[in-house]
Amino acid sequence: MDSAPSDGSGPVPLTIFKLLIAGGFGAGKTTLVGAISEVRPLRTEEDLTSAGIGHDDLHGVAAKRTTTVAMDFGRITMGRHLVLYLFGTPGQERFWFMWDELSYGALGAVVLADTRRLDDCFPSVDYFERRRVPFLVAINCFDDAQHYDPEDVRIALDLDPRVPVVLCDARDRNSVKQLLITLVEHVLSGRANAAPSVAPAGSVPAS
Amino acid sequence: MDPGDKWMDRNSGPVVRPYALTGGRTEPADGEVLDLVAVVVAVDPPERAEGAVPVMVTPEHRKILGLCHNPATVADVASDMGLPLGVVRVLLADLLQNERLSVLPQRRAEDQPSATLLKEVLRGLRAL
Repeated sequence: MDSAPSDGSGPVPLTIFKLLIAGGFGAGKTTLVGAISEVRPLRTEEDLTSAGIGHDDLHGVAAKRTTTVAMDFGRITMGRHLVLYLFGTPGQERFWFMWDELSYGALGAVVLADTRRLDDCFPSVDYFERRRVPFLVAINCFDDAQHYDPEDVRIALDLDPRVPVVLCDARDRNSVKQLLITLVEHVLSGRANAAPSVAPAGSVPAS
Repeated sequence: MDPGDKWMDRNSGPVVRPYALTGGRTEPADGEVLDLVAVVVAVDPPERAEGAVPVMVTPEHRKILGLCHNPATVADVASDMGLPLGVVRVLLADLLQNERLSVLPQRRAEDQPSATLLKEVLRGLRAL
């Protein structure tokens, strides 16, 4: 990263946020991340027989078969110290070992919906509801997809009325930008409705 | 791989043994799992006391140190190394333990961001 100034004043403390881009296979997660940032691959791996970081014996040896899972991420740098990381997350339930770590401390999530396979969204919606990760549902308007009314999608997914449901074109930078703005506004409005938080926030300056 | 193994689909990569580079270790030496967006930076190695056991630094360790010349997140390092995240975490923990890297302070993941910070993110997004 190019965040370390060379004037000897030490690096500017970065404030980094994680955003999750979830959705079924082929819903357009990689396209969406690529529309607004450079997409980079991230490999993660999982034991075929056990799930979860930290569950192995401390001195365990990886003798068992391991599978690697590829996902995509992108980085959006805003100003000198704000950075958003977008992580495209495979939607299937068997990848939930990754979701736990991705959603820990995440600012929010986009559930990208393909109306041809709307039920692919169910696991993601369930997950974010249970983990109380603020999310919105974005209907990716493929050219050949039947056009849906967002309200119909809300009913089909049985969403809380406060969860935004928006139309988007995952290929279009402005559309994706608007989507992320809507998501952060949703996070902010949820914050305003909640009890005042006493938790300290903001970045900790480097010593 | 068993051709009848329906567990796999095209979202899955090949079955590999990625932990060969860590000598089979699957857990970070200090037991701490670094967050995906934790920021690490290379630091000057400490003076070694005479007779101290030399620290083993592999080519992968050296490459990571090069990537962390400027602060970088764990996700960035893993992507640049082309190695699985878990492997990179073990290698990063070795370097942290040997005081070749340090973790830069961050907003704690469990703290909710303030409204002020969220508004700053909004301004940043609108300006894109």
